[in-house]
This record gives sequence, C-alpha cells and structure tokens, in this order.
Amino acid sequence: MNRKLLKGVIAAGLSLSMVLGGAVVVNADDDASTQGTNTFVDGGTEMEFWTFQELHVGFWTEMADIWNEQNPDRPINLTVTTGESHSLHSKLLVACQSGEGAPDMADIEIGYYGSFLKDGYLLPINDVVEPYKDDVVMSRINMYGDKEGNVYGIDFHLGASVCYYNMDIMNEAGVDPAEIVTWDDYKEAGLKVLEATGKPMCAVETADLFLPQLMLLEKGVQYVDEEGNPNIATQEHADVINFIREMIDLGICEIAPGGGVHMEEWYGHLNGGGVASVAMPLWYMGRFTDYCPDLAGKMAIYEIPVWNEGDTREVLQGGTGSSVIKGTENEELAKEFLAFAKLSAEGNAYEWNILGFDPIRTELWDDPAITENPDNKFLAYFQTNPFDILKKNGTDLTAPDISGAYSATYSVLVSTTYSNAFELATDQDALELLQSEQDSIIY
Amino acid sequence: MNMKTKNNVISVCLFIFFTIIALITLLPLLLLAVSSLRPGSDLMRFGLNFNIDWANANLNEYKMLFSGQNNYFIWYRNSLIITVIQVALALFLSACVGYGFAMYEFKGKNIIFLCVLLVMMVPTEVILLPLYRLIMRMKLINNMWGIMLPYLVIPMLIFFFRQYLSGIPKELQEAARVDGCSEYGIFIRIMVPLMKPSFAAMGIYQGMQSWNNFLWPMVVINDIDKITLPVGLQSLLSPYGNNYDILIAGSCFAIIPILVLFVFFQRYFIEGMTAGGVKG
Amino acid sequence: MKKKNIFRKFLYSQKVAPYVFIAPFVITFLVFFAYSIVSMIIMSFQNVAGANTSFAGLSNYRILKNAVFIKSLKNSAFYTVVTCAIMIPIPMVLAAMLNSKQMRAKSTFRSILFVPALTSVVVAGVVFRMMFGELEGSFMNQVIGVFGAGPLIWLRRPTTVWIALFILCLWRWTGVNMMYYLSGLQQIPEDLYESASIDGASSMQQLRYITIPLLKPTTIYVLTISIFAGMAMFSESYMLFNGNNSPNNVGTTLVGMLYRMGFQQNQLGIASAIGVTFLTIVLVVNLIQLRLNGTFGGKER
Repeated sequence: MNRKLLKGVIAAGLSLSMVLGGAVVVNADDDASTQGTNTFVDGGTEMEFWTFQELHVGFWTEMADIWNEQNPDRPINLTVTTGESHSLHSKLLVACQSGEGAPDMADIEIGYYGSFLKDGYLLPINDVVEPYKDDVVMSRINMYGDKEGNVYGIDFHLGASVCYYNMDIMNEAGVDPAEIVTWDDYKEAGLKVLEATGKPMCAVETADLFLPQLMLLEKGVQYVDEEGNPNIATQEHADVINFIREMIDLGICEIAPGGGVHMEEWYGHLNGGGVASVAMPLWYMGRFTDYCPDLAGKMAIYEIPVWNEGDTREVLQGGTGSSVIKGTENEELAKEFLAFAKLSAEGNAYEWNILGFDPIRTELWDDPAITENPDNKFLAYFQTNPFDILKKNGTDLTAPDISGAYSATYSVLVSTTYSNAFELATDQDALELLQSEQDSIIY
Repeated sequence: MNMKTKNNVISVCLFIFFTIIALITLLPLLLLAVSSLRPGSDLMRFGLNFNIDWANANLNEYKMLFSGQNNYFIWYRNSLIITVIQVALALFLSACVGYGFAMYEFKGKNIIFLCVLLVMMVPTEVILLPLYRLIMRMKLINNMWGIMLPYLVIPMLIFFFRQYLSGIPKELQEAARVDGCSEYGIFIRIMVPLMKPSFAAMGIYQGMQSWNNFLWPMVVINDIDKITLPVGLQSLLSPYGNNYDILIAGSCFAIIPILVLFVFFQRYFIEGMTAGGVKG
Repeated sequence: MKKKNIFRKFLYSQKVAPYVFIAPFVITFLVFFAYSIVSMIIMSFQNVAGANTSFAGLSNYRILKNAVFIKSLKNSAFYTVVTCAIMIPIPMVLAAMLNSKQMRAKSTFRSILFVPALTSVVVAGVVFRMMFGELEGSFMNQVIGVFGAGPLIWLRRPTTVWIALFILCLWRWTGVNMMYYLSGLQQIPEDLYESASIDGASSMQQLRYITIPLLKPTTIYVLTISIFAGMAMFSESYMLFNGNNSPNNVGTTLVGMLYRMGFQQNQLGIASAIGVTFLTIVLVVNLIQLRLNGTFGGKER
C-alpha cells in the first residue's frame, strides 16, 4: 500500500516534470533577457561571453551581428550569459582559478577587477586598442591596466561624474544649480534647500563609495598608492569625511535609504522627490529613466562642484572592464571583436542610444545626430544636455586607480569604512578611523 | 465534569495559541502571495506589505510567468529532475552504507565512520575550488550529473539509517542467513521493507536539500537552460534588472512541489523519525 | 564458470559484504572529499597564484590576527550560541504542547510549522530582506508603527540585523526541530505521565521532571546539528544582504569570510587557511558533542 503510494507520487512527479519540460522547452530560445545569441552564421567561431548586467546582453549580440556583416571572412557566434552580479563574479573567479571552464570574454565590474588582474587571468589587449588611440579618452582605458603599461579591459562608457538636480526642489528654494561651483557653494545651496523645503540636498552611501571617491579624486588622491598598497588613511581622505560629516550634521546630507544608490529603497525615495540632488556618473541616467518615471522632465544635469574654483569639474567613476580571459582558443578574434564593439563608432552609438552611456569616443560628442537626437529617451528626460559638460571639460580626466589592492580596499570601504564614518561611529576621529580600517585590509 | 471543563479550556487555549503561531509562520509566505498580485515596481516604492488595492490586483505576474517569455519552467523542470534522481539514488546508496555500518563488524569501521562525520562537517564553500576542478576534469561541468555526483552518498542520511537500523535485532539477519538468504538478499528483501518509514523521513529531508540547493549548482552549471530553480530565481536579483514580477510570482510557485511531497509523506516522516533517528 | 563461482563466493561472503555496502561512501569520499580536503590543507600553506604558486609557510595564517576575521569568528560563535539557546527550548515546548492530549488538529499545525523549512533560502532571503526593508511601508515597520515606534533601518544597525537573522532562523527551523522533539516524545511511555498526575504532579512539574530529562538524547542531537548549522551559516546572511558585504560586517560569518577571501578577492591561500581553522573548530566542538552523546565509539544504548 505504502509502496504503491510512494511509486505513484514519484511517477506523478516525474511525469509532471516531463510535461512541464515538454510544454515549455520549445520556447527556450525566445528568451532574450538572461541568455542571448546573435543571428547564427554558418561556420562562425563559437564564443562565450559572461556579463552581470542584463542590458549588456543586447549590446553584445547586436555588436556580433554588425561584426559578422563587416567581417564575413571571420564570423562569430556569440552566446551571452548573464546572472546576479555577485554570484556571477564569484563563479567567473572560480573558473579562472581552476584554469578551466571560463568563457572567452567577460564583463568585470570595477570593484572586482583587481581580483582578476592579481594573478594574470586576463589577456593584454594593447595591440587592438592602439588603432583607436586618438579617437577615445585614453584615461578610461588605461585604468584597466598595470604599471608595465599593459591594458586588459575596455569600458562601456566614459563614466564622467555629473550632478543631477531635481529642479522642482531647486526652484522652490530659489537656487540656480548653474551658479554652484565649489563644495562650499553647494553647502550654502543645501542650507537654502533645507530651509525652503525641509529636504536634504544630497545623500551619501554607506554600502558604496561614489560621493567620497568623487571628492577624493578631485583632490587627486587615490585609494591605493603607487605600489598598489592600500592608502586610505590620508589627510585628504579624512578631510573629505569631515566635510560630508559636517553636511550630515547640518541636515543637508542624508544616508541614502537602503545604504546605496542602487537599492530599491533609494529608487523609491528619489522618484518621490525626497532628495534635491545626487552626484553620480552619466551612466546613472539609465536608472532615472528606468526607476524614476515621476521625475521625467524635472531633472537637470550640471557639472559637479569642486574644491577650488578653476579645477576641472569632471572625474571618471564606476565602470565595467570587458576583457578577454586567458586560455581562450580564439585570442586574436576575441581581442579584435572586443575592441571593435567597445571602441568603434557603431558600438559607441549603440551604447549611447540604447544604454544611455556617455561615449568614450570623442567624435560623437560633436555629432548632432547623437547630441541632438529628438528620439533619444535620455536627452528627452533631462532639462540640460550632458554633452555640454563633456565638451567643456575635455579629455584629460582623472580616473580611479584600480590596480593592486583596490579590490580588497574597495571591499572594506563599502562594507565597513563608510558605514562607520557616517553612521555607526560618527564621533570617532576621521584619521584614526581610517587608520584602523586600513589595518584591517587583507592584501 | 470539572475535569472535563478544565480540559476543554486548555484545549481551546492551545488551539488559539497555535492558530496565532501558525499565522505568524505563514505570514512571510502570505506577504509573498499577496505581493505577487501587485506590480513589482510597487514593491520597490512602497515596500513589502499587506496594503493591496484589490481593484487593481491582477494575475499579470503569473501570466508573465506562464507566457514562456522566460526560462522559469525550464528551471523548474531541471530542479524536479535533479531532485527526483538525487533523492532516489541518495536514499538507496546511503541506506546501503548505513546498513553496512549498523549490521556488520569489520576492520576500519571506526576510521571510516569518522570520515563520514568529517564529510558531514565540511560545508561546500570550504572545498569549492578543488571540487570544481575535479568535476571539470571529469568533463561534468554544465551537466546535471556534475551537481549530483559528489552528493549521492549523504553523511546525514548514513548517520540516520545507521541509527534506525541499530534498533533492528541482529537475530533477524542471522535467521535469514540460516534460511539461505544471501547478504545482499537480506538487505533488499528484508531490511529495505523494514526501513520504509525512514525512507519517507529522509526522502523529505533530502528532497528539501536538493530542491533548494544553491551554491554548488550555481558554480557547476553555465547554460541558462540547464540551471536549477533557486539559481535561476537568484539570477533575477540583478541590481539593475527589473525582474521583481517574475521573482515574486516564481518564488511563490517554487514552494509547491516540495509542499506536496511533504503533505503526502508527513505521517511517515514522524513515524520514521520516531522509529529511528534519535535514540541516543 | 568455475572462476565466476569463486568470485561470486568471494563477493557474497560475510567478510566482504560489509565492504561492498559501504563502498559507495568510500568511493565518494576518496574521489571527491579526501582530495578536496587535502588540497585545501596544502593550499593553506601556499601563495596560490595559478602557475606562479609558491610555498608560503604559515603566512596565510596571519589572517587569524586580522580584525575582520576575528569579528567574523565572533559573529559565528554568537550566532551559534544564540540559535542553540532559542532553537532548543522553543521547539521543545511547542512540541510538548502539540503532543498533549487536549490538542486538536495536531497534524495540521505540525505541517504549517514545517512549511518554512521547505522554502528555498533564496526565497526566504528575498522575502525577509523586503519585510525588513527600511521604507515606512515595509511590513516590519508597519508592525512596530502600530506600537508607536518610528520606522527602523533594520538591516543596517547591528542590533536589528541580529534580530532579523534570529527571526529568520527561528522561522525556518522551528518546525524541523519541533519534528525531532515530537518524535522524541513518542518514545516516552504514556503511563509515566498517568502515574505522575495520579501523584498530583502539575503539568509544569511533569514537564520539568519527566519530559525534559527523557528528551535528553533528542536535545543532544538537536544541539549537535544546531552547532554545526550555526557555525556553517553563510547563505542566510548572503541572501539577506544580497551579497557578501554586510554593513560594518555585522552579518559576516566565518564561512562568509572564507568565501569573500577565496571567491571575491582571489586570495585562495588565505581562504584555505580559514577553511582549515573552520574545520578544526567544528571538528573539535562536534567530537566533544558526539562523545557526550555516546554515538562515537560504538557505545550505544
């Protein structure tokens, strides 16, 4: 009796699984969100690509199609797989560590990049970048490199940091963002905003590092020193923390709800007009169009404030280094495809039009078809044109140094340092705190 | 009469108390179920709660789930197949091992049993890389056998079956031998039927483990149409993607098979646990 | 034919049979686990860097002095102690109540309490993360709002993080532990209680003098698996924080630290040193446990 029941249930389970499987297996290829392929070309080289960002799947498959059109003698069939960011990076790292099972190419987030550089899991791509050298902002490319002058990765975007202002709040407070030049101006404006609307001027993250990193880069200071050792216990860093702490005490800076500007809580807060401005790179435009429908037409983009009048009002932040993984059987093809996708005019146009990424290729900044495109959802969303900032500040921009201990340092900064500095240990002397944080970095 | 009244009062109190506990227990799942009727973007803006505008409630998330526009049911099928195979094999193989430990004396028994305990204490995270290398060399990456092979003999199950069988008199084995039954015949024809309740108990246990396993399947499988349900659901958690609709509805739906399994077998589960497991 | 018979006889002999029975384990152990554990121990003394791997002596073990490592060790220990402290009495009392004669609808409640254990940690993590969200509308904030308390930032403050982790643990595992206790209770003879109540013992006294002492084997068993599960805790924290970075490492456990070193920062040598440390601790603690239990060493009752 019992056994019959057992058998029955197992049989039912199996047949249910077969039915389910059979019913939906036909649809497997329709899915474009978590895995994608380009239009199949007979005789094309099979290549695999891993990315942690769904939106990149469309980019890579589209670029493979264009590549195949232009290089009919060397076609590729690209399979792009995506997944949750942290797990995918860990999985990629395991594959690299074991020396087997890694894809041909992968997108690696800036915070993880150092882990992959450390033991030489990536292939230098100097030779394929060389032809594009004069057309692109090289500081963005050199950052994915080492001290010997090798470069390993290319980003999707320039990632120039700007300040996004909610103009409803600005107008209510009678503040003109165009007149904010220095951080002191910004603080003054913040006080006006607070008085008029009761809302904070800005937010600082405890689970990420964009605001303090921005301020630090403006001072020309990096999180790692020349030799690649952790270097967070600097006077400049302490000054930055003290400045942000002061803004928090004045009530013009809040801790970002959710602890970061990529959290569900934050998007709700931002969309609801809960904060007057946020300083983030230009790629953050896509978050506005995706998560803040209520702010359409109300946001304006201006240059970031600086410490001293006359400083360059632009730095580079965030990013993803697309790289060729060592051990691929198609080194040359992968490298060339990578450079083509990321550095060609076609690739840059796609990145801007579909993903809202500020192009790394400078000629696009002057192309009215790009900068004045009336159908572009990003240009339509914002009151001001982001290209004005890019053109004004040129190509000599400070990029974060992500070599050496950056990954280990980053991990400590976003899990403990800023959380302690702004939230849990606000009374501790900044330099002292930074010293003890630096001591806990394992490198 | 007095006694009876008192008993009734206790009975009602207990019932009310457990009703409250049960409600609290089900609360997170109810939240999930209610939320699956709301658009995913609402969750982000207003938080997970019971505030629901019934006029706007709809089954869109489930429609999306069943539309075939995503891999959800492929993951579902993969998980079902892996769970069924792994549970069946793990039960049989672990029962063999447990039987060996419980009914025989042999050289090296203690040392080998110590190894069982050792394996029980090693979380997958600790040996992830060497294990991955092995599976890679066996060419089992991206293959469901790669997920299952290292975990077909489960120390927890061995431990349990050994305990269970130590309650069965050895005379039974002797008597069967006298009747001319072979060593393996004894196991198959006499012991396995006796172990039925413990199979049910451990079937549920192992079913839970296999169905919900996350880290190891995530590392082993690359192809999106070969991954298991928890891995697939987690892949929807991309900080940039907007997949909460499928995630929430899918999470709700994911509980069903294991729930069915449990409801069917819970009577045997208790029976099996009681008769075997924990005697000290 | 004759050869086959000899082989058959050999295979079927009483001496060989036990080895055949335990063969599946021995094979799995030798193929997968022995190699893995040994290679972990070797790596813990190495500077692991692909082709440039070199001997590193004890330098990886310097991690034992690192502040974050010590914090993760403390976190794991704290989590283990507290979960043992709550995951034993609560299920035990619930089981005793559920087992009482006056109880109606036993199996229904039993099932309901078991349901959370059936949900995947991925699902549980997502639900709890959103329940404990810091929005005013998040469920937990609505609940404390009823009592007049303001919205809390649950997952970014040490105290509330621990509360969330313990509630998650309580929610998922109460039903399971209760099952163990329910089965333990089946073995206590009914007449013990009957004669006790004839002697005028209250139900409290019955619990104190009959139920708890006779449930000791179950308690030891539950304690053993709780210690192990507590020390190995990782995925709960990973899912609750959607990644392995909890604010100020409040939720970073020993295994979380190992995972971060090995599979996020590519420091396999250090990760292996943590692994060896972890195994040593768990092995010692559990062997003491099992010695008390009498399971190991073949002394069974």
